[in-house]
Amino acid sequence: MTKISVTGSKSQLETVITELHDMGLMDIEEYEGEDLDTGNPFEEAEELSRTLVHLRSLLSKLPESEESEGSKNLQEIQEKCTDLEETVESIEREKEGLDNEIETLKDTINTLKKLRGIDLDFQDLKGTETLETYTGRIDCEKIRNESNYRYYEIFEGEQATVIAYRPDDQFESLLSSATKEKINVPELGVEGSIESIIKEKKNDLKNLKKKKSSKDSRLEEISKEWRRSLESSEEFLAEKVEKAEAPLKFATTNKAFIAEGWIPSEKFEQVQEVLCESTEGKIHIEEEDGENPPVEHDNPSIVKPFESLTDLMSVPKYNEIDPSVVILLTFPALFGFMIGDAGYGLSSFLVFLAGYKMVPAAQDIFKSLMWASFFTVIFGLAFGDAFGYVIFGDHHNALFALTGWEFLKEIPILFHRAEHLGQVLPVAAAFGVFHINLGYLIGFYNEYVNHGFMEAFLEKGSWVLLEISAVAGYLYGATVGVPLGLISVALLYKGEGIEGIVEIPSLVSNILSYLRIFGVAVAAVALAKVVNGLAAPLFEMGTMAGLIGGTAILILGHTFNTFIKIMEGFLQGIRLHYVEMFGKFYEGGGKKYAPFGASSS
Amino acid sequence: MAIEGMAAIGAAAAVALTAIATAYTQAKIGAAGVGALAEDDSLFGQVLVLTVIPETMVIFGLVVALIIAGFI
Repeated sequence: MTKISVTGSKSQLETVITELHDMGLMDIEEYEGEDLDTGNPFEEAEELSRTLVHLRSLLSKLPESEESEGSKNLQEIQEKCTDLEETVESIEREKEGLDNEIETLKDTINTLKKLRGIDLDFQDLKGTETLETYTGRIDCEKIRNESNYRYYEIFEGEQATVIAYRPDDQFESLLSSATKEKINVPELGVEGSIESIIKEKKNDLKNLKKKKSSKDSRLEEISKEWRRSLESSEEFLAEKVEKAEAPLKFATTNKAFIAEGWIPSEKFEQVQEVLCESTEGKIHIEEEDGENPPVEHDNPSIVKPFESLTDLMSVPKYNEIDPSVVILLTFPALFGFMIGDAGYGLSSFLVFLAGYKMVPAAQDIFKSLMWASFFTVIFGLAFGDAFGYVIFGDHHNALFALTGWEFLKEIPILFHRAEHLGQVLPVAAAFGVFHINLGYLIGFYNEYVNHGFMEAFLEKGSWVLLEISAVAGYLYGATVGVPLGLISVALLYKGEGIEGIVEIPSLVSNILSYLRIFGVAVAAVALAKVVNGLAAPLFEMGTMAGLIGGTAILILGHTFNTFIKIMEGFLQGIRLHYVEMFGKFYEGGGKKYAPFGASSS
Repeated sequence: MAIEGMAAIGAAAAVALTAIATAYTQAKIGAAGVGALAEDDSLFGQVLVLTVIPETMVIFGLVVALIIAGFI
């Protein structure tokens, strides 16, 4: 990256901005000094952003439309935008009103349904001049048994009961004690049998729904006519606003402007040429010294998907190794080794493929996870496992038992993981030692490039020496190990100070942390076996129902397991990178290269 | 009780107690982390790192259990 400054008179400002935007190469740095003023946005910026706000709110309200044509031009849209927004808003408001009415009507119908079977005219439910009525789910037996009041009558329906009575305090208190649920009869101002009113109200409901769907189709019509045009002018205006607001980042005087920013070093001549040509040489471009250049990943395409995993942690600094390559080398293999099951490899691949298709924003992450699935299949075949069943080798071979194909027994496997889980343990620890030392090695290189060999040896090499002294002490006794250890501790103290000494125990805990590989592997095997164990008795029944039930359990169980394993494999795998390994060398905290104008191209 | 039985209970306790401790601390860190992420989602990496720190405890528990069970 090279920092450049573009200086010119204000008359060239617009040309320069347009050219910079079209090239999409320069990451403009905001002017933060105090000697000069920052620039003002172009005059039209305010109006443009106002139109943009209207456009966006309009777009958010219009339904999607596949067949929309983009036949309107920008001027037409700018003129009609406010009107259109009002129309759409009023339709939305009407729709909201209709929604409320529909809800109320639904409530009323539900209440009326409770009153079904009561042999009274609806208007009588409200009582008369001399008679009170009481409606609800009432324990009628209780009233008949306990009341000695004579002036009442009970009208029982399917669910609710209406009691008409002459007002009386004692009777009312009995009523309320016998009530399970009081029903408030809605004010409808109509007469007729309850059944006929329900019918009428249902009819009303149908009409309201029809009205609402007519509003919906009105919105769809508008969308069909306008949406595509609105979308393209939204894009166009957003670009214009971006350009119009660019001077905010520039330093300006009354007559001139200075724009500073970063471009990829190899593009310097191209930028210079284009700018000089378009302004007829009326500007001055200069290379500048600058700190903290923005960072762009520069990796072969196979590593690209893993960049997002690096950025998830932190964007690398400008002059350190991009750890995406390391993630490519170890993350999929680690994931694969932990899950180690050909069946789950395939099922997780399908999940990631679906994610890749459905979430365009996270395509890179899903691509990197597909690598992980691939390795899961590889390790699955090496262990001879598929969905917890043994498929290769001569031991408990479930696939052989099912098919009777002799050759399945002949296929060699690495080791039978379910029975020799103990063998996973040394592999996990060995991988941990390898992974952590790889981290130190990269750290060594980073230090070597930035601060020279001595620093690198003191800060990172001393850790490796410490590990070597521990091994030497184990193999050849304390006479070799202790002096070597003391030397490395002294070097460490010189390199990293007291912090280095305090950190020594964390080396042990970091390596032990890789034993989680063993933990996840145990869980992976056990979970698969649990599902198979649940299904086995059903298959043994030998009936059709047993076969169907067993298959259902297998499908449900293994689908569930697939997601659990994706989560475990991803989180534990990526965590071992972020914490244990990156901790040895990675600083991060870089700024991503975001060139002006690139987002809209 | 047979000595093997006691050892098995000890191994179980080693994993169970450290797991509870890890869960307790992770819950607290996780809750705070989600709060931080709501403010600024570029912190995901740092939050993840902070959240997983207590896992060391349960890994030590696992190691102790494996030693008791004679696995290592």
